[in-house]
Amino acid sequence: MSLKLEAGWYKNAIIYQVHVRSFYDSNGDGIGDFAGLAQRLDYVQELGANAIWLMPFFPSPLRDDGYDISDYRSVHPSYGTLEDFKNFLSIAHGRGIRVIVEMVLNHTSDQHPWFQESRSSSDNPKRDWYVWSDTDSKYRATRIIFLDTEMSNWAWDPISKSYYWHRFFSHQPDLNYDNPAVREEMWNVMKFWLEMGVDGFRLDAVPYLIEREGTNCENLPETHAIIRELRKRVDEQFPGAMILAEANQWPADLRPYFGNGDEFHMAFHFPLMPRMFMGLRLEDRKPITEILQQTPEIPESCQWCLFLRNHDELTLEMVTDIERDYMYDIYAKDKVMRLNLGIRRRLAPLLDNDRRRVELMNGMLMSLPGTPIIYYGDEIGMGDNVYLGDRNGVRTPMQWSGGWNGGFSAADPERLYSPPILNPVYGYPAVNVLSQKRTAHSLLSWMQHIIEIRRSTPVFGSGSISFLHPANHRVLAYVRQLGKEIILIVNNLSSAAQSVELDLRRFKGNILIEMFGRNIFPRISEVPYLLTMGPYQFYWFRLRQI
Amino acid sequence: MRETILTELIQAFQQMARDIVHYLPRLVVMLIIALVGWLIAYLLKVLVRSSLRLTKFSKLSENAGATELLHQAALPSSTELVSRLVFWVAWFGFFLLGVSVLGIAGLQEYISEFFLFLPRLFVALVILFFGLVAATFFSRAVLLAAVNANFRSSRMLSTAVRIIIIIFAFSMAFEILGVAAETMLIAFATVFGAAMLALAIAFGLGGQDLARRFLQRKLEPNKEEKEDELSPL
Amino acid sequence: MAEETLLNDDFLRQLINVGEVDIVVGLSTHNHARTIGPVIAAIQAGILKCFPRERVAIINADGGSQDGTTELVERASIDDVWRESKVFALRTLHSISVRYDRTPDPGKALQTILAATDLLRAKTCVLISPESTTIEPDWLQRLARPVYDENFDLVCPIYARQRSDGALMRNLLYPMTRSIYGCRIREPYGSEFAISGRLVTDFLAKGISNDDWGRMGPEIAVTVTAIVGKYRVCQAFLGAKAHPGRGTQDVVGVMRRTVGALFSSMDSNFGMWSVVSGSELPPTFGKPPEIEPEGSRINRKRLLDMFAAGVAQLEPVLRSILSPSMLGELQRIAALGINEFEYPAELWTRTVFEFVASYHKSIINRDHIIQALVPLYRGRSLTFLTENRNGNGENIETREEALCADFERLKPYLLKIWADGK
Repeated sequence: MSLKLEAGWYKNAIIYQVHVRSFYDSNGDGIGDFAGLAQRLDYVQELGANAIWLMPFFPSPLRDDGYDISDYRSVHPSYGTLEDFKNFLSIAHGRGIRVIVEMVLNHTSDQHPWFQESRSSSDNPKRDWYVWSDTDSKYRATRIIFLDTEMSNWAWDPISKSYYWHRFFSHQPDLNYDNPAVREEMWNVMKFWLEMGVDGFRLDAVPYLIEREGTNCENLPETHAIIRELRKRVDEQFPGAMILAEANQWPADLRPYFGNGDEFHMAFHFPLMPRMFMGLRLEDRKPITEILQQTPEIPESCQWCLFLRNHDELTLEMVTDIERDYMYDIYAKDKVMRLNLGIRRRLAPLLDNDRRRVELMNGMLMSLPGTPIIYYGDEIGMGDNVYLGDRNGVRTPMQWSGGWNGGFSAADPERLYSPPILNPVYGYPAVNVLSQKRTAHSLLSWMQHIIEIRRSTPVFGSGSISFLHPANHRVLAYVRQLGKEIILIVNNLSSAAQSVELDLRRFKGNILIEMFGRNIFPRISEVPYLLTMGPYQFYWFRLRQI
Repeated sequence: MRETILTELIQAFQQMARDIVHYLPRLVVMLIIALVGWLIAYLLKVLVRSSLRLTKFSKLSENAGATELLHQAALPSSTELVSRLVFWVAWFGFFLLGVSVLGIAGLQEYISEFFLFLPRLFVALVILFFGLVAATFFSRAVLLAAVNANFRSSRMLSTAVRIIIIIFAFSMAFEILGVAAETMLIAFATVFGAAMLALAIAFGLGGQDLARRFLQRKLEPNKEEKEDELSPL
Repeated sequence: MAEETLLNDDFLRQLINVGEVDIVVGLSTHNHARTIGPVIAAIQAGILKCFPRERVAIINADGGSQDGTTELVERASIDDVWRESKVFALRTLHSISVRYDRTPDPGKALQTILAATDLLRAKTCVLISPESTTIEPDWLQRLARPVYDENFDLVCPIYARQRSDGALMRNLLYPMTRSIYGCRIREPYGSEFAISGRLVTDFLAKGISNDDWGRMGPEIAVTVTAIVGKYRVCQAFLGAKAHPGRGTQDVVGVMRRTVGALFSSMDSNFGMWSVVSGSELPPTFGKPPEIEPEGSRINRKRLLDMFAAGVAQLEPVLRSILSPSMLGELQRIAALGINEFEYPAELWTRTVFEFVASYHKSIINRDHIIQALVPLYRGRSLTFLTENRNGNGENIETREEALCADFERLKPYLLKIWADGK
């Protein structure tokens, strides 16, 4: 079944990001699967999320965690079958949860049959599906993304005796989007899933589709043309479906990906996330307000995607050197926590497992303009294992209970795809869904509460934002407004109590109603509105003219 | 005749004897008063001396330059001087009190006048003292300011200031004593000068910077050509 | 009481907004719009360069400026109202200004800044003169680092000096402070210095700035308090010292603020300094600066004239301050011609000591004593100038050491006359 058509559903969504492999193992083979995920959808629904974003689950040699796809039209055997997926999709829709799947457009695995054909000979019909060259000197101006592992964007193919282009790992050759056949085939792939009922795609690595000499081969106009074409087809054939851009760029560079509302529906706001962490630690709102003020207006139908943590490292590409050094020193003193240009840790350990800070960060996530994404496990304060390679430390099994394998799988612990977290602070005996469900004051319960408030207040998803600039720089205050609905949000970024004077004269006469306890605060008058705030405290006020 | 003379003589002697008998107790009383007065005056002197010492009066007068002045005039220290003055005034007062007991007609008036005069004397002395203090202080201030402003005849200026203030103090003192009404005239004349001086001093103290610059500009018109001042810090 | 009037409501509100900081940069101003521009720019650059992560606030205590000085200071703030051209900063930087009074008062200004430092719980307070146009961004770090990172309590500057520069500092303040308090601080009256939060708190608690000397020369009061209280004192080399007021400096005023304050400080600290002999060199950071080339022309004849005139005209005043033999000596050298004139180090030392003793005993009005020293200082600076005219850095230093040695050697003489005739 599919959910009823609702344009702009993504604007008021709460997205729950999950990896099939890590969520729940239904068949006891140590690896999570679609049948397991389908069983646990009640949990996602209870949490309040109304969309699920699935990490890649396609057949793949798994050399880049599934982002190296070898078959676009199937499910990796470890996670089940296509039937299992369809079943999961149907249950999700039954629970009012939309499903967003990952689509890697830019490249395939070198194991993909297309590439195997393409490399087999230079006159193969699929030869032109990838970017081949006799020299490795083309597109010199292009940066290398995986600095830690790759030396060049070109790799030598000993079979066809020439170089092929890859922006990521050398086992991920880039598809040639100048070739109409490639574009047509990729649309067919998307159509395959959309017809099945999928509600949207997260399109991976979109800035890199097209290469042109003399440019940095990112964000080219030709790339935008391809996206517009895709969007047009989506709108015509699958109204209500959503495409989300993954493009780690500055907000001003990201803006073109929304076009005039004719490219992506949504895009990740990458630079905001590290600045939220930075602002919290500096006890200074400057980094946050600055980046949001630099963020351009986007078309009415578009939306930013906000997140605190995800399956990747906390990326520090979109910060200055001073900021990056600061972030490293504060959040990743131990070098083992660093990866590429980022920090591979989960939310709770990043915030020293401080409940107040976790709440404040989630409060900001929920109240800043955009659709929030919750990374699985962060809603219960799961920890990470920085000693696992790459980004696997933040992809450990979901902790359901204090029992066998944390309730994730009935397999022997040795058989699990990844060791579960076991330490006394973050391990599953201490941090798990079952125990948190039992107390009304657990992080999980609190998350349910805040999500409920967020979902019942459309201003958060669609309203405008305007910042107040109180002289106390530790306090981040802003007003969200949609029509007559006005919400005032005040966050204390400091570890100490603060007093702040807010200039609310333009709302004179309104009274404030605190949204969590629904208590009334004094009426706004001509004089500055004085608030005192406890450490890391935040207020959401609904303004009412009575 | 002889009888008359004798009677008159006897009468005179009797009268004298009567008078002596009449006056003798008074004389004794007078002597006693004088003696007691001396004692009280002495006690007062001791009291004043020790209280002045306690209040560091000598330091005040030293600061004001009165000590220096007294030293130059070969007079004892200011504390000693004041206490002696108190002694003599007190004792003289008691002595006069004693004399008045004698009931000598005419003398009485002078004596009561003296007692009326006493407070005025005291005020006059105080004025004189502070006048001297002020004269020394301001003349030195003017001297130092003038020297540091590289003013040629600073000593003269300083002396002028001192004399003007002293004259003013004296005329005020005399005015209070009422000794010479004509000093009023002089006083009036000096009041004008003193007012000017007071203004000058106020100008000097209140706006030293301004005054210095003013003086420098007045006295050294070719400042532009002058070399740099040594930078002290 | 004093603090009540210092921190008015508006200032308090500003301080609440600044909140807890690590470093306070203090500026005491009065109509400094002409020079403060580059100073504040250098401070801001210094903060961004050397202390990008630390919480820093610039606090300006203003004595009733009419020329827009305070606005210039406030413009150095960095907030989150995003402007295209703004310098990059990790944090908000508050640059606030408070008018403590309508008229300038260095003691009150310093007290205001220190009270703010104390309230904001800053670890370090760096004082910068709004006239130091030669300041470089690096100065901030050189002054603040020893306090911030190495737990020193007071960092005094050492400037790159011209040959004849700082005559009073080098002939009186330095040798005197060194011999009296036993600590070789080159610039006990620096326009720039840094102090620790600990010292600030204690300094305020002692209420020293209510004393005469604290009011007169608050900078010296800080230095003396630090030495007497056995705080950790060190020095840092800075660049050239600025002389914006060269040629118009009010020597009498300067003497009052510095020498007057130093002399006064000795009354209450007798117990400490009377037992000090010799001196110690505090830790010194940085590289010694080069001797700066001479930039000023000084009329030596005029100096001699002023000295001779002073000795002659002030004779009655000097007689009450100095011993007869000393006065005789001065009268003798006052009669010398410009070429043979010399005011020897030892004679100068004794002169200063006799002045100190008379000052202590308040022989005459204390301010008059300081004023009477001015012409004699001019005489000594003439000799200083003559001696250093052709010297290189090394023999200038040797002579300076010799003068200091005289001050230290003759200290027993001071102790003798200190109590005499009392």
